[in-house]
Amino acid sequence: MKKEKITCKEVMKHVCESLGEQLNDEKCLEIRSHLESCPHCTEYFKSVEITIECYRKYNVEVPQEAHGRLMKMLGLEE
Amino acid sequence: MEEKQLIEKAQSGDKQALAELVKKYEQTIYNFAFKICRDKNYAEHIMQETFYSMVKSLHQFDHNSKLSTWLYRIVANHCLMMARKAKSRSFVSFDDDENLFEEKYAADWSSIPYRDTENEELKKILDSAIQNLSPDYRMVFLLRDVEGLSTEETAQVTELSIPAVKSRLHRARAFLRKEINEAFSR
Repeated sequence: MKKEKITCKEVMKHVCESLGEQLNDEKCLEIRSHLESCPHCTEYFKSVEITIECYRKYNVEVPQEAHGRLMKMLGLEE
Repeated sequence: MEEKQLIEKAQSGDKQALAELVKKYEQTIYNFAFKICRDKNYAEHIMQETFYSMVKSLHQFDHNSKLSTWLYRIVANHCLMMARKAKSRSFVSFDDDENLFEEKYAADWSSIPYRDTENEELKKILDSAIQNLSPDYRMVFLLRDVEGLSTEETAQVTELSIPAVKSRLHRARAFLRKEINEAFSR
């Protein structure tokens, strides 16, 4: 029986499932090969990476007053 | 001083060592709490609760996991408790995974100012998108992708199985990506 070709939707799902994992099974190799030849899926892959990057870069600093209140509450003031 | 020594000193009642540990992790804990609840007042409250719990139960810490993983578990529990108390909104449901991969819109991702950490429009979009995810999904995405814990550590913190972590993670990634895509297509 002829093996069915992988679809873009399967690739998109796989990208979301496996990003960051070092996988080398047959399916992953097929996905990688598809990504190399499909601009649409490559774009999707990049957009998932950018999504993660956006949330990584969005940080807040502990305000000095909040630090003071925390140390006071714990009885650890300097 | 190495962290292990610092913990041992704090466990034996050394206040200076305890203060060092609090200072070392307060930024991480506050930032994480903010990322879950997207509110600075709640984040401060959760940070206080987390360190109060840490001080109370530090004697039970047995060095079998990293202190950071142990603290993530405490802060995660406090965040979930607070979210349950404030249960006033509904979240996206993932009954149908297929919708996550439907492409009705096409944003120009190269124009998204993701390197501009002070971009207020982007911040609003990110806040709004993640608040549509239930806190359980937020937690997995933030621990694994944003804080950089391994899948195993994320499972340990959330007390989920590894397949459950992976399933929540892929849905959260696809959902957030879709929300940003739609916001920048308007």
